[in-house]
Amino acid sequence: MNSSMINAMMSMNAMQRKLDLIADNIANLNTAGYKRRSASFEDLLTTLKQQDERFAQAGRLTPLGYTIGWGARMTQVQQDLSQGPIQITDNPYDLAIEGNALFEVMTNDAGARAYTRTGAFQTVLNEAGDIVVTTADGHPVVVRDEGGAEGPLLLPAGYHLQVDAQGRVSAVSGDGSDIVALGQLKLVEPVRPDALMAVSDNLFVVPEGVDAADVVRDMLPDEANNVRIVQGALEQSNVKLETEMSELLMVQRAYQLSARALSSADTMMSLANGLRA
Amino acid sequence: MLRGLYTAAAGMITQQRRHDTVTNNISNLNTPGYKQVTSVGRSFPEMLLYLTGIEGDKPARVGAVNTGVFAEESLSIHLQGDVMSTGRMSDFAIRSDLQVPGLQFDDSGKAVDENGNVVFQPQAFFTVQDPNGNIRYTRNGSFLVNAEGYLVMNDGSFVLGTDNNPIQFAPGVGLDRLSLTGDLRFVDEAGADAGVQLLITVIENPNRLVQEGYGKFRLNDEDADLARAAEAGDRIEVRQGWLERSNVDAAQAMVDLMSALRAYESNQKVIQFYDQSLSKAVNEVGKV
Repeated sequence: MNSSMINAMMSMNAMQRKLDLIADNIANLNTAGYKRRSASFEDLLTTLKQQDERFAQAGRLTPLGYTIGWGARMTQVQQDLSQGPIQITDNPYDLAIEGNALFEVMTNDAGARAYTRTGAFQTVLNEAGDIVVTTADGHPVVVRDEGGAEGPLLLPAGYHLQVDAQGRVSAVSGDGSDIVALGQLKLVEPVRPDALMAVSDNLFVVPEGVDAADVVRDMLPDEANNVRIVQGALEQSNVKLETEMSELLMVQRAYQLSARALSSADTMMSLANGLRA
Repeated sequence: MLRGLYTAAAGMITQQRRHDTVTNNISNLNTPGYKQVTSVGRSFPEMLLYLTGIEGDKPARVGAVNTGVFAEESLSIHLQGDVMSTGRMSDFAIRSDLQVPGLQFDDSGKAVDENGNVVFQPQAFFTVQDPNGNIRYTRNGSFLVNAEGYLVMNDGSFVLGTDNNPIQFAPGVGLDRLSLTGDLRFVDEAGADAGVQLLITVIENPNRLVQEGYGKFRLNDEDADLARAAEAGDRIEVRQGWLERSNVDAAQAMVDLMSALRAYESNQKVIQFYDQSLSKAVNEVGKV
C-alpha cells in the first residue's frame, strides 16, 4: 500500500548521500591535490505485477503486466582525475604534475604500490639513518635509476632535491658544487581510471586480483604526452565551486520534491484511516 | 449493497497507483536515461442495467454503467531527455530522431498514418548483456571500463558491440585516449581503429519495452522482431563525454502528485457519503 512512502524514502536517502558527497567536495575546495568525486543515480528494481490475458484490451499500448518502480539510488562514485590549477609554493619538496599522470609511492616495506597526484612531499629520517623523500603520510616516493631498478627516493645528507620537468631527480650539495643523479621519478598514466580504487590520503591502489599493467601504464614525461613535473609548486583541488553549487541546487530541489511526495503519501494514508471517522 | 461503494474504493486504489508512479518519477529526476512513466487507468467493463419487477413485468432498461476503474498499464514515455556534458570519457548520450517514411512525428513522438492508426516514433538504445546473459536495452550511458578492459554498466552488464559480443579494449587501452567516430567506432589520437564498434539497437515501437529497473528495458519474446541494429541512414548521434538526463518534468510531476492526492480524497469522501447513507438506512429507517 505505501509504496510511495518507500519510494520517496529510498530516493531521499540517495539524495542525502549525494548531498554528502557535494559537501565533501566543497569542504576540500582548498585541499592540495584533492580530486573531486562525482556520482550518478540509477533507478531501482522494477517489479512486475502479472496480468492475465483478459487484460489485453483494445487500446492498450504495452505488453501485459503492470510495472512498479522502487525509487533511485546513488551509484558510480568516482574520482574526477582532471587537472587542478597549479600554485607556486617555492618549497623544493612540492612537486606538481601537469598532465595525465600519477606519482608512484610505496605503502609498506614489502614494496606494495599506490599512486597519488598529491605532490606535497617531505623528508623523513628512516631507521637505517637515510633521508627518505615521502608523501605527507610517510609513504616513500619511488624512483627508477638508470639500470631500471626501482627504489625509494633517498637523499644524501646535506644535499637538497632538484627535479626537472621530465622528472629526473638529482641531489645538489649545500654550496651547489656537487650534483648527484638519483634517477627518475616513477610516473604512471591511469589508462583505466575507473578500475583504480581510491583509498585514504588521496592515494589510489590497484584492487587485489587485478593486473596493475591493465590499469596503469609506466610513462616518461615528454613533449608528446604533455606531461611535465613542476618543482616548487602544488596542484590545487580540482573542485569548481560553481559546478558544485549548481549540483547542490538540483539535488536539494529533488530532495524537496521527494519530501513533498512523502508527505502527500502520508496524507493519503491519513485519508484511508479517516474513512470511518 | 450499494454499488458505488466499491466503485469509489477502486478509484482510491487507482489513484494510489498513480501516486506511486509519480513518486517514482520524482525519485528518478536525476537518473541518467530514465524515462518518465505514466499510469494509465481504464474503467471496468460496462454492465447493462434493467429494472425488473415493475408493472406489466416488462423489464425497463436503465442504461450502461461502469462499476469501477483500475490502473491498467504503466507506460514509459520514450522521449529524448536533455543531454549534458560531464567530461567523463566513459559517459555516452544518445540523441535520436528516427523517421519513418511517410509519417510526421509530433513533439510527443506520435504520428497518425493514413488508416488513422497511431504510430509511435522508433527509439535508439544501447545494447547490453546483463549478468545473466540476457540482452537488454538502456539509455543510461554512464559506463565505465573495468580492469579487464570491458565497457560495462554500473552493475557489471556488458555493453555490446556490432559483433554482438561485449566490447573489450586491448590491454593498456582506456577510453581517455579514444574517441568515438560518427559511425560509432573507437579511434585513438592517431586515428587508428581500436577494433570495436558500439551497437545501437532501434526499437520500432518503444511502448512494447518492459521496464526492468537499473535503467534497463527488455523486449518480450513475441516482440523480438521490433528490434533491429541501427543503420547508416538513421538519425542517431552518440556523444562521448555526455549523459542523457532523465526526461521527467518536475512541474508536471508535482501537478500529477497533487491531482492524484485530491482525486484520492474525493473518492474517500464518496465512500463516507455512502457510509452515511447506509447509516441512515440501518439506524433510522423504521425507528420509532
